[in-house]
Amino acid sequence: MLVHIGYNLLQVAVVIGFAPLVEGVLARLKEIVQSKRGPSIFQPYRDLAKLLCKDEIVSRRSSWIFRTAPYVAFTAPVFVALLIPVLTRYPLFFAFMGDMLGVGFVLAFGGFFVALAAVDSGNPYGPMGASRTRMVGFLTEPVFLIVFMTISLVAGSTIPYIVQGEWVRSSAAFFAPWHVLLVIAFLLLILAEDGRLPVDSASGHFELAMIEKSKSLEYSGRGAALMKWGGAMKLFVLLVVFLNVLVTPWGLAGPADISLAGVLLAVPLVLFKMLIFLVVLVVIESSLAKLRLFRISEFTGAAFVIAVVAMVSRLFAA
Amino acid sequence: MPSTSLLLSIEALAAGVFLLTALGTVAARQLLTCFHLFVWQSLLLSASAALLGLALSSPHLLAVAAITLATKTMLIPWLLRKTVHDEVYRIREIDQVLNIPTSLLLALALAGVGYVFFVEMLGGMAVPAYALVNLPIGVAVLLLGAFTLTVRREAVAQLLALLVAENGVFFAGIAIVPNLPAIAELAAAVDVPVYTLVVGLLTRRIHSELGTTMVGRLTALRED
Amino acid sequence: MLLAAILLVPVCTSLVVLVSPFRRWAGWLTMLAMAATLALAAAAVQATLGSGAVSGAAGWLVCDGLGALIVVLVAFVAFTAAVYSNGYLRRRASHAQNDDGGSYYPLFNIFVASMLAVPLMANVALLWVALELTTLLSAFLVGFESTPEALEAAWKYAILTTLGAIIALLGVLILYWGTRIAGEQAFTWNELIAAAPAMPPTLVWPAFLLILIGFGTKVGLVPMHTWLPDAHSQAPSPICALLSGVEVSTALYVILRLFAVLSRVPGSEAGPWFIVFGVLSVGVATILMVQVRDYKRMFAFSTVEHMGIILLAVGLGSVDARFAAAYQITAHALAKSFCFFAAGLIVLALGEQRIAAVRGLGRRSPVAAVSFLAGALAITGMPPSAVFASELLILKAGLARGQYLVVGFLALFIVIGFAAIMRHATRMTFGKEVDMAEAPVGRLWSAGAAPASCLTALVITAIPLVVFGLCMPAGLAGLLNLAGTAMGR
Repeated sequence: MLVHIGYNLLQVAVVIGFAPLVEGVLARLKEIVQSKRGPSIFQPYRDLAKLLCKDEIVSRRSSWIFRTAPYVAFTAPVFVALLIPVLTRYPLFFAFMGDMLGVGFVLAFGGFFVALAAVDSGNPYGPMGASRTRMVGFLTEPVFLIVFMTISLVAGSTIPYIVQGEWVRSSAAFFAPWHVLLVIAFLLLILAEDGRLPVDSASGHFELAMIEKSKSLEYSGRGAALMKWGGAMKLFVLLVVFLNVLVTPWGLAGPADISLAGVLLAVPLVLFKMLIFLVVLVVIESSLAKLRLFRISEFTGAAFVIAVVAMVSRLFAA
Repeated sequence: MPSTSLLLSIEALAAGVFLLTALGTVAARQLLTCFHLFVWQSLLLSASAALLGLALSSPHLLAVAAITLATKTMLIPWLLRKTVHDEVYRIREIDQVLNIPTSLLLALALAGVGYVFFVEMLGGMAVPAYALVNLPIGVAVLLLGAFTLTVRREAVAQLLALLVAENGVFFAGIAIVPNLPAIAELAAAVDVPVYTLVVGLLTRRIHSELGTTMVGRLTALRED
Repeated sequence: MLLAAILLVPVCTSLVVLVSPFRRWAGWLTMLAMAATLALAAAAVQATLGSGAVSGAAGWLVCDGLGALIVVLVAFVAFTAAVYSNGYLRRRASHAQNDDGGSYYPLFNIFVASMLAVPLMANVALLWVALELTTLLSAFLVGFESTPEALEAAWKYAILTTLGAIIALLGVLILYWGTRIAGEQAFTWNELIAAAPAMPPTLVWPAFLLILIGFGTKVGLVPMHTWLPDAHSQAPSPICALLSGVEVSTALYVILRLFAVLSRVPGSEAGPWFIVFGVLSVGVATILMVQVRDYKRMFAFSTVEHMGIILLAVGLGSVDARFAAAYQITAHALAKSFCFFAAGLIVLALGEQRIAAVRGLGRRSPVAAVSFLAGALAITGMPPSAVFASELLILKAGLARGQYLVVGFLALFIVIGFAAIMRHATRMTFGKEVDMAEAPVGRLWSAGAAPASCLTALVITAIPLVVFGLCMPAGLAGLLNLAGTAMGR
């Protein structure tokens, strides 16, 4: 029991500790693809340290929402890390506190606060980004629901640990047509949800075209650090759900292995899987152009269609 | 030599991606994307035939895989590029009767109905599992292709939709009749490039005579 | 050997007329080749009448009653069309500015070969290929004039009928699957019929529907008929005669063959499907005939009507009805090719396809007027045309089966069709000449006496059309009986 609680906390530590690294690797890979050298992969850590040392300026006109939002944005992914299989295949202490829908709710809660804070800040670009984020959210949420429903059809549960076990169980289930469809639908959702191309350009600096970034423009010092870190962790936990639960359910500490060494061994394996995925992500981001705002519905529509096809093909499989 | 069940599971995976490429052709806006999706889809068809051929140790299917690879991923793309003017492939927005989200939803409904109908139809029969995967997906792709054909106004896009529909039929065919006479296979393999050529040349003639390839906009002939 | 020769003659001719020294005589060579093909087809009919069925080329080709009927009709219409083309093309060449029409005869020959292959192929999968080739090889003939309308028609024709063929292919493959499940090895019509009782009905029905929709597109059954009036009105007239007279029948042939298979599947009733599609096609086509503005289009709709009548007749399910259906196929092929030959004369004389622009034809071109009126009377079923006799037999067979409602509808629609065609035909022939403000679109060919070869083709077609309407020669009766048997058994 205590061991399980300990491992749960270890998962949280891994998420907090390695999330900036993922961000750094992603930035570096992108630069490499563009034939540039790019900053060190540890640059995000330095940025965070620098920001944490700096003074924070808060507009006098803003309310408590603006001040609490960074903390909410930081803690939401931490809570999520308690629910999902970051390192182990066996369910840990908090595993049954919430299912994948719960994961979605917690992340959405963080997103909601950030959106409110963006409106609260008084910056003209903040509300614009917030409303755009909500638009993308409206379009992706039904797809999330269909994906989760289909997963629950396949695995008989939406608890991430049990879903993960389902794909491991048999190769027929892993290679089933609906599995690959679910994976692709979920990938599109990650792109939309995390503000990646072709929905939003994460590295763009043009405020009018921003969706995700414009919401944190007004933050400085510690607030900015927490927002940045929270964003990195959000990507990290989404990737964990995608990789450990859906695509490659291997490399985690097995059901019998409760030794600390086994669990720690999972850390490099998970990071390695992420590295491979980041390469794919960079290829996607480098080969696509940003969609016009009103074409985003087509993008999420495609995800919706794929998810529905996955559901129909699973529902009516003989 | 991998086990039969593993080969069949990978074949099922190919079936999923196959369906996905068909959905892609409904949603794609650029002509060149449609073109590439078709080539990828043909590659998947060929892979699926090869996997089934290995799993069932059927030389027929391996031959189908080789023929598909030669005609659909090489000969037909080459023919299409040769016969139709390059200008056409630069079309970035294919003219459509319906907008893309609407047509995607309609296509989805159509493909879903076809899929479910055939799964239910096969439900009562003793059918091998791979036929249960391939036949409904093939039917769904056939319907998606037929739907795309009616929605698009651009000549080459219509032809590609036709080829996609045809891929769907072959995808169903490799699972339900793995032992068609070789001559029929060959004949069908000849037939597809021939119609690509004929329709391609027709497109070229329309392009040179009328200066457009928007066949959907040609509506001189109709009932009053 | 005989059957292979039927296919080889047009194929070789098509290659020969591509070569430069023979290109100048392409018309005459084609005419010769078609005469030879007709003779070979007649020999095949003779052989079939003797033994019931002939096979050749190591069993890959086969010819029974229904096949022989289609083969001889294709060969006959191809021969008359070849004769007609001679005059038609020469007249065209003297007025077309940019196009030498050099691809016409090679395509014509190979197109005829593909149509002949359909009823001769033993393997159903190969038959599918042959049927698909008929579309592909004729697409350029449909768009031969290269006007915007002709290209539009050719496009619709190629794309829609190919889509139909692809849908039908799935049906064909499912049928083959059923044959294998039932334990038969080869995929021929005979094996299919032998396998039918053991085939799972859950497979046969979807297969039938897919083939009905798929090849029904090519036949022009309502509601898949939309391309047909376009293609059959825009092609050059001799090609129209081939398309409307026999090409649709070769596609219908496959659907008719299925009837024999379906009637052996346990617990099945194929008749209603045939009757429903038949009545629908007849009804819609005749009603659309009332509103046409183009006289070739009018005959195209009449083709849809007659395909519906044939389908309906087979669906009635009695021996007499099947005999009448075979008779109707024959009569339609003759009468419809006659109609399009006559329509071609008007095009040659006036360069006009609009009904409103050819009023007073009787004064402007008496020969064209007389033949057009004769064609209109023949296709609407006036005695002594063979269409009269065959339609009468179908109505009689329907009454004998107790299908009073169906017969009532059929008779009503035939009368509507008659009224529609005759209204247009009389206006064209006797109406007061109006001055059309706008110039005729596309081709304006100067008036002139009708070419002799065109008139010859008309006369050759008229002879059997009238003879078969007045009496039933023993040979024809035997062939129709055999054909009817092949559809039902």
